[in-house]
Amino acid sequence: MSELGDLLDDIVADVDSVFLFSPSASLFERFADAETPVVVVSPENDVDADNYVELPLEFRDLSERIRFGIEGGLDNEFLEEGDQVACATKLYADDIDTVSRVRAGDFEHSGVYDLFVNSRADPNVIRNVLEVAIELGKKGQKGKRVGALFVVGDAGKVMNKSRPLSYNPFEKSHVHVGDPIVDVMLKEFSRLDGAFVISDAGKIVSAYRYLEPSAEGVDIPKGLGARHMAAGAITRDTNAVAVVLSESDGLVRAFSGGEIVLELDPEEY
Amino acid sequence: MPLGTARGWYGDLTAAEQNLAVAVAVVLGGLILGAVTAWVVRRVLVAFSLDEAVEGTPFERTAQQLGSSSVRLLAQLCGLFVFTVAAVYALRTLGVLPSELFIQELVDFLPRVFIAVLVVMVGLIAADKAELVVGEQLRSIKLPEVTLIPTLVKVSVLYVAVLIALSQLGVATGALLVLLAAYAFGVFFLGGLAFKDLLSSAAAGIYLLLTEPYTIGDEVEVAGNRGIVQEMDVFVTYVEDDGEEYMIPNRMVLREGAMRVRET
Repeated sequence: MSELGDLLDDIVADVDSVFLFSPSASLFERFADAETPVVVVSPENDVDADNYVELPLEFRDLSERIRFGIEGGLDNEFLEEGDQVACATKLYADDIDTVSRVRAGDFEHSGVYDLFVNSRADPNVIRNVLEVAIELGKKGQKGKRVGALFVVGDAGKVMNKSRPLSYNPFEKSHVHVGDPIVDVMLKEFSRLDGAFVISDAGKIVSAYRYLEPSAEGVDIPKGLGARHMAAGAITRDTNAVAVVLSESDGLVRAFSGGEIVLELDPEEY
Repeated sequence: MPLGTARGWYGDLTAAEQNLAVAVAVVLGGLILGAVTAWVVRRVLVAFSLDEAVEGTPFERTAQQLGSSSVRLLAQLCGLFVFTVAAVYALRTLGVLPSELFIQELVDFLPRVFIAVLVVMVGLIAADKAELVVGEQLRSIKLPEVTLIPTLVKVSVLYVAVLIALSQLGVATGALLVLLAAYAFGVFFLGGLAFKDLLSSAAAGIYLLLTEPYTIGDEVEVAGNRGIVQEMDVFVTYVEDDGEEYMIPNRMVLREGAMRVRET
């Protein structure tokens, strides 16, 4: 089987750095004395790596996961544009079973790392909102698909660029997106029309908001509805990010700066 | 009739034999009562889910290495106490113990020892637990010096527990008490001084969060800073104006008042 070994050697030949996605402690240990710099990408830094990129969401899609890791590595200056990177990650098994080679900067900068780390809102808050949207997309209401729009961060400005459709059920409440009660309220959520406004720290400021940003110059793929248009427009107009659960195709999309930066299928999580 | 025969048998015995029979009965009763006490205490502690609360503390881990658990140890201690009382009573019936005075002292002293041991045990568990909880709270702060705080909390709890135990045993604890007073003074007075602003902000913040005179999205002016409220928490209010974000302590809001701009 030397051909297979050669193939693997070819893949990892002359790489500038190695990205380990959620490595076990023993595996990381083996890389400790390696000459090539090692970067760990995982939800939690339990191996105490020096070069570490936090993975806020276990992206099921491999290319999304690698893209996030590479963008995080570029942002933290663990690597430079054009570096050759070997990524060791898991695809089917519970531990690392896949090695691939990427050239940093080969793909378009999607901003998925910026979405989490360099947004106004806390990375945890964005992750929680995404989780709520994914959960909502999976469950729906009575088996029917639902749509939802969450606007996260820059809440003061967002509130001034929107108007209430009805009384605000979250007035004088102090519910945050990470709270356990939110899971219980999920079903109720899906009945509310309009957008949810969530502050930088994760407080649910309002529901039933009708967003009225100027939609000028917002360019989103044709075929997406008013909800996505509103999300694109509000993120262009303010420093907020928006998380949309589409009613028509059931996908969760995240917007930042008027553009789609992330697309997830809730069924995969 | 069994009871009648038993009474007849008891009456036939000599005084010494009668005492022995009573002592054996008392010891047996003490054993049973002790076991029942241990069982009840254990059930009560488990019902209050103490076994989950102490999970992960070094004390519990040590206990588990010895094939026991904190809950079981506490229960066994209570059972042992009940049994010891019974044993002392049995010994007295037998007349083995030298004098009435000794027994009196023993009766006085035993509960104190029991409480002292109990306090030390509870103190150990509470100290470990406090260390764990505080350590967990501070885990997100990645600063090496911060690990000192959980240890300090643990030592303080232990110190108080040992102090209580020693005073139970009648050991002179005056000097230790003075030390405790000085320590408490340091923590509360100096701590209060250091946290003064935070505390008054928190008091104001609770009022503001409960009544919400203004909320996120309102335009307000506080202490000369005018802008849109972006975020409110217990300690501070964030007001943003054209890319400038002011962090206003909540006590300022109450002290200086706030102006809320209403659109006409």
